Amino acid sequence: MTDQALPLPQEEKQFSLAKDAFIRLVANRLAVVGMVLVAFLFFIAIFGPYLTPYDFLSQDLLSRNQAPSWQHWFGTDDLGRDILSRVIYGSRTAVIVGFSTVSFSLVIGLFMGALGGYFGGKVDAFVVWLIDITMSIPSLLLVIVINVSLKPPLVNWMDAQFVATGNEFYRNTIWVDFVLVFGSLALIKWPKAARIIRGQILSIRNKNYVLAAEALGVPTYKIVRRYVIPNAIGPIIVYISAALGEAMVLESSFSFLGVGVRPPIPSWGNMISDGLRIWQLYPHVLAAPAAVLAIVTIAFSFLGDGLNDALNPRQWK
Amino acid sequence: MTKLLEVNNLHTRFKVRNGYLHAVNGVSFSLDRGEMLGVVGESGCGKSVSMMSLIRLLPPAAEITDGEVLLEGEDITHASVNRVNAIRGSKVGMIFQDPMTSLNPFMKIGEQVIESIVFHKKLAKAEALKQAARYLKMVGISNAEHRLNEYPHQLSGGMRQRVMIAMALLNEPSLVIADEPTTALDVTIQAQIVELVKGLREKLNMSIIWITHDLSLLAGMVDRIMVMYGGYIVEEAVLDDIYKSPLHPYTIGLLKSIPSLKTEAGSRLPSIPGAPPNLFAEPTGCPFAPRCTYRVDRCTREVPALATVPGAEGDRPHRVACWVDMRGRGIAQ
Amino acid sequence: MNMHAKQEPLVVVENLVKHFPVKIGAFGNQSAVVHAIDGVSFAIYKGETLGLVGESGCGKSTTGFALLQLHKATSGSVKFDGVDLSKLPAKDLRAMRKRVQIVFQDPYSTLNPRMTIGEALAEPMRVHKICPEKDIQGRVARLIRDVGLNPNVANRYPHEFSGGQRQRICIARALASDPEFIVCDEPISALDVSIQAQIINLLMDIQEKYNLTYLFIAHDLAVVRHISDRVAVMYLGKIMEIAGKDELFGRPLHPYTKALLSAVPEADPDVERGRKRIILQGDVSNAIDPPSGCRFHPRCAHARPMCAGEVPELEDRGEGHFVACLRVAEIEKETV
Repeated sequence: MTDQALPLPQEEKQFSLAKDAFIRLVANRLAVVGMVLVAFLFFIAIFGPYLTPYDFLSQDLLSRNQAPSWQHWFGTDDLGRDILSRVIYGSRTAVIVGFSTVSFSLVIGLFMGALGGYFGGKVDAFVVWLIDITMSIPSLLLVIVINVSLKPPLVNWMDAQFVATGNEFYRNTIWVDFVLVFGSLALIKWPKAARIIRGQILSIRNKNYVLAAEALGVPTYKIVRRYVIPNAIGPIIVYISAALGEAMVLESSFSFLGVGVRPPIPSWGNMISDGLRIWQLYPHVLAAPAAVLAIVTIAFSFLGDGLNDALNPRQWK
Repeated sequence: MTKLLEVNNLHTRFKVRNGYLHAVNGVSFSLDRGEMLGVVGESGCGKSVSMMSLIRLLPPAAEITDGEVLLEGEDITHASVNRVNAIRGSKVGMIFQDPMTSLNPFMKIGEQVIESIVFHKKLAKAEALKQAARYLKMVGISNAEHRLNEYPHQLSGGMRQRVMIAMALLNEPSLVIADEPTTALDVTIQAQIVELVKGLREKLNMSIIWITHDLSLLAGMVDRIMVMYGGYIVEEAVLDDIYKSPLHPYTIGLLKSIPSLKTEAGSRLPSIPGAPPNLFAEPTGCPFAPRCTYRVDRCTREVPALATVPGAEGDRPHRVACWVDMRGRGIAQ
Repeated sequence: MNMHAKQEPLVVVENLVKHFPVKIGAFGNQSAVVHAIDGVSFAIYKGETLGLVGESGCGKSTTGFALLQLHKATSGSVKFDGVDLSKLPAKDLRAMRKRVQIVFQDPYSTLNPRMTIGEALAEPMRVHKICPEKDIQGRVARLIRDVGLNPNVANRYPHEFSGGQRQRICIARALASDPEFIVCDEPISALDVSIQAQIINLLMDIQEKYNLTYLFIAHDLAVVRHISDRVAVMYLGKIMEIAGKDELFGRPLHPYTKALLSAVPEADPDVERGRKRIILQGDVSNAIDPPSGCRFHPRCAHARPMCAGEVPELEDRGEGHFVACLRVAEIEKETV
């Protein structure tokens, strides 16, 4: 009698985990819907301003608050600006803020999370303490404080630079808004990223395959690169997807409250805020940005859920 | 002896991502009052699922697709949920593998133990606690009254399993299903528990189904053994016949491959090649055929029926599901 | 295997101690120390298999891990081929890992799910520069064949394999750096019964083929007896008895060893019906607050007051049979 293990079962298909996850993702209908919508959003944000029928700033005071028509698909607002063009431009604001916020928070989160997760002990205790402190600050308050205290000096500085150098860049103080918005958003959001990354690193460090690699004599940097990071990546991707959606919503809420991106640069938030003033008379002015914001939120949550299921397949056992 | 339990053609399957997992594929057997039956097989052979199907204690993804279970003549498979709940607590006791997680860490031992009698027998709490203390003493827990006020983490693994046993017995069930009750325990503690259950069985005259993967463990304990593989019963016989004259190639292989304190040390163990089957495909032949040394053409085409053959000593019933006449070919006795 | 011809110790463990600090109490506010191993000494000779048995929590796995410096020992020394591993700087220790390897208990969690089998097996070859890059594929294929798998599995991922196949892969990985010594930490206890014999046979085959020395850690006495040349029995962080296999199983001297042996069920109804079990009372004592004197005395039927006061040392009873029991001579007389 032989005790050779039998050769593998006949099926010859080979699945890498990434491929397997992708197949699972595509099999999930809602996730596909989310994916398509998110892809469309990015497309619009990048190419939209070249496709818009009107300039988002051009006012046509003769055709104010027009209902949707063939000329203006989403209608016009109280200054006669084309709402579709403004929604499209607003997507650019949302995506810029979303991406910068998530990258910023991820960089800080990666650094802090990895620090805590890898070194443990007192360093970890300090990181956890910092995370808890940051999370306990009410985010709206933080944003308002940052805006109120930092915006005037920064704007003044930009103006002074413009006067001194004549460089056009300094004239465009909208950048101050952007930097403050995603700066404060990143400050709010990094603890969540740090928490996820710290948790991942802690759990993977205790995984037996890391111990096995140590026993094989694999150097530490290789263990981190080939064992820890590839296994931590799944939840981080899920986090990125969810955080992008959240950041866009937060940007809108702040702009709505007037502490985010200021008019005339369109943001869905300040458009909703504008629309609210006249919604009883002209509901479409509110409806268009609100609907788009809702759809984007839902799209990201579908995609996030899909990614989560695809990357952490629950075993049937 | 009278029949306590009769199971006919039981099928259970699990809904999984793309299809079904066929866990139990037509299991039929019966159990007499006071009898102790051992159910043995590897992980995924369907031993636990089929026994849990008896009282419909299954995860939501599982469904019983066919068959019937008669306990004292009452059809459980088609009974109402309320009725099954009543049966579970009062007529059937359960002992699970992991005593560490089967107890609620935030509840005192006493409260957990009496929960089911207070519910099923409507006993007053003080009366129930008195009875619980009596049962804890019976399962060998000293200082029982004191233990009732402790929390699970204050007890060792062996102690917790004793508590679980007391809980299972408290309603004086006619059937106790023990699902690998000693697998999580050390061998010296396992010996304690085995002795305890043997003693209790004589005292309380109940039927026991003991599920395990350890064929050796059953040798000193049960009356009859059922061997399961790939969701089927492949062999069933009284204790001595399984060990001394096994008829199924799987049983034969398994018995030979287990090193014992008597096998010739250092020699190669006669092992069974291959690995246990996955159960995603609906079986088209004998589940053991891919690993079987004695396989013939028919084995891969047709599922062998569990047929009664003459026992080694005449009238003792011996059932085996194999197309090959192992006795006729001189492989088995 | 003729051990007397090769009385050359490859591994010498001396007075190894491992204490884990833990937090106990409802709020984790009390510090305590788990005495996982408390002064363990033994030697392993070239080419032999030393079995290490005991119940869960007795410190057998910790001994294996501390031996390989995967846990830093609290005190004591581990000499491999004359070199004290516990004093080696990290870099030299990593280099030493080429020669000492481990097969873990759980083949499901010890393979990186993101690495193909080929990558996993090539890793140690690259790390220790076993062979030029161009030969790696060939070596990987040969290893895979040696553990009884088909070489075309190299570009598959671990999740495509069954438990038994994964354990074969883990064994191949341990072999990849051409080690001399392998710690087998319960290598079969996570596997299905019908697979266990395959892996035991495989471990014995490659031991012969690659000329390996094993420390075989297990809780299953029958398996340890089958594969080992000598066997050490541990209880609560101490070695209770150590002897040649036939000697230990044929003439167990320590009351704990006897109880352990008598608790092992046999697949034979006649034996089981006739057997008189030594049923130990109570549970294994707590490693946070181990009993004074002999660690086994609270459960020992032969215990006398002196057993609580004095810690028994391993005592030579002849034929390489060492027992740590104060009353071993009297007990031996009683039972004869």
